[in-house]
Amino acid sequence: MSEQPANSNDPDPVFEAIDLKKEFDEGNVKALRGVNFKIDPGEFVSIVGPSGSGKTTLLHMLGSLDLPSSGELKFKGTNLPDLPDYADYRAREVGFIFQSFHLLPTFTIRENVQIPTFGLPGSARERKARAVELLNAVGLSHRLDHLPSKLSGGERQRAAIARSMVNNPGVLLADEPTGNLDTENAAQIMELLDLLQEEHKTTLILVTHDMDVASHASREIRMLDGKIASDSSKIPKPQSS
Amino acid sequence: MNFFTIVLRGLWRRPVRTALTLVGISIGIAAVVALVGMASGYEKSVVKQLDVIGIDVIVSNMEGGMMPKVFDVELQSRVSENPKVEKATTVLMQMLMVEDAPMMMVSGREWKGFTWDQLQVVEGRMPKDENEKAVVIGILAAEVLGKKVGDKVQIEIDEFEVVGIVDGQSVVENGAIILALKQFQIVTGYEGKANFLDIKVTSETTDDQIDELCEEIEEVFPEGRAVKASDVVGTSQGFRIARAMSWSTSLLAIIVGVLGVMNTMLMTVFERTHEIGILLALGWKRRMIVFLVFCESAILGLTGGILGVILGGVTLKILEATPTIRGLLEPDFSASLVFRAIAIAVIVGVISGLYPAWKSSRMTPSVALQS
Repeated sequence: MSEQPANSNDPDPVFEAIDLKKEFDEGNVKALRGVNFKIDPGEFVSIVGPSGSGKTTLLHMLGSLDLPSSGELKFKGTNLPDLPDYADYRAREVGFIFQSFHLLPTFTIRENVQIPTFGLPGSARERKARAVELLNAVGLSHRLDHLPSKLSGGERQRAAIARSMVNNPGVLLADEPTGNLDTENAAQIMELLDLLQEEHKTTLILVTHDMDVASHASREIRMLDGKIASDSSKIPKPQSS
Repeated sequence: MNFFTIVLRGLWRRPVRTALTLVGISIGIAAVVALVGMASGYEKSVVKQLDVIGIDVIVSNMEGGMMPKVFDVELQSRVSENPKVEKATTVLMQMLMVEDAPMMMVSGREWKGFTWDQLQVVEGRMPKDENEKAVVIGILAAEVLGKKVGDKVQIEIDEFEVVGIVDGQSVVENGAIILALKQFQIVTGYEGKANFLDIKVTSETTDDQIDELCEEIEEVFPEGRAVKASDVVGTSQGFRIARAMSWSTSLLAIIVGVLGVMNTMLMTVFERTHEIGILLALGWKRRMIVFLVFCESAILGLTGGILGVILGGVTLKILEATPTIRGLLEPDFSASLVFRAIAIAVIVGVISGLYPAWKSSRMTPSVALQS
């Protein structure tokens, strides 16, 4: 688990947002209104805030699922919109965990975990072995050949976590990972995420409504109306334009 | 699991829709196989017949449509004077309804002409002379008409005795009723007339000389045409019409197939917008998704093509056995037709996948995920 990030002169944050804005519907909807932050390698950051505050939009942009309208969003010093291949970035650098798990219904759990490995080097045998290894690690060794529909919500989210880690990314992006789970399962999932984050020193960025979940993180960014209302880190923020 | 597994799983998601699409394509391809197989079988059967009889050049006046106009048999003696001609014999051929058979080739042949030579008597005998009111019938014609030696067969308003059943070594010959030209001229009222002059050239005549011969014949018979046996299929109006009809009907079937597959693939892409969003979020490249849609579409085409060829083959077998077709032609179900039909189906699949694939490549992952 990381400590609070170093000072703003740190040359290599994983992410750096400078006056990041995102508009939809030809500017009628302003989802992000100038956001600034830095996230260092190995940090566990929770992004909290009410619905419509821009949390998920921000997370999608960190995962290059959507592009900023203006401002800069840098990944290891490179502005994300300038990346030559977003798919490659999503495949190698980040892993996604979604609230609704987003497992493909016609594939077994093991196959689901292998899906992100297509298009990357490695044999079918290696892919399969890696999937099994991860599913064992998240406690699903007995569910390898089950379809997602046969699993409980908690088990599905475990499978989704295994999937997010299959390409060994440096960053995990989790969008309300416990939102569809009961308290007990939610606690188990958070324990698992804590453990994996500690073990792999992964940068974990988690969007949540749930303050209990958010409390697992070492840093909390609170969003309100498309802006950062508070950031528990001590990073001095650059001036917004 | 490999990429192919993912493709198949995509098709398996909606088994009923996939099956219905396959039925659509396979019916289209079956239509292609059946129609083209019939047209091409017709051509091949005629070519084989000419080959078996040993005809090198056919002279006729095709202005009349499917069956040529009659001309004076005296043409034969004029053509025979040409040194390249070894033998020339007149034939009066008509497609007639004979008793219960809807269409049957009736061929009146000049008595002692070389077109009688290859007929092998299977049962009974040949007519004694051109004055005998008798016919021989091909083995298929015998089956279709249900006749045996000694029976009577009615041609137009006259009755003839079936004196023999013959094997003409080609489906066209075996499906025909053959009699002396003189007898057929009387029945049809075309006395002194014929509508074909079949020519066998001397053995030393070269291919180029046959072309010359054709020109020379057309000089003495300007209203008619002399065609090399090998060119009959390519130049005949009837064959061209048959070919054009079979291909144009096939084209319609293909268009219906394209629309069917495209509809399925578009539905698939729309339905799976969310799934495509997930794949994009998991790092799949757009071109992999395009390829996935393409592969699904091509597999639909390929599978539909294979099923269509099987269905078309069965249809041809059934058609071959029907009284209308039996004895007229031997449907062509060649490897080349099978290959062409399957290739068409795959192309149908790929073309149908173009638009859905393009659609899928335009999706924004975050929007697709929220759908």
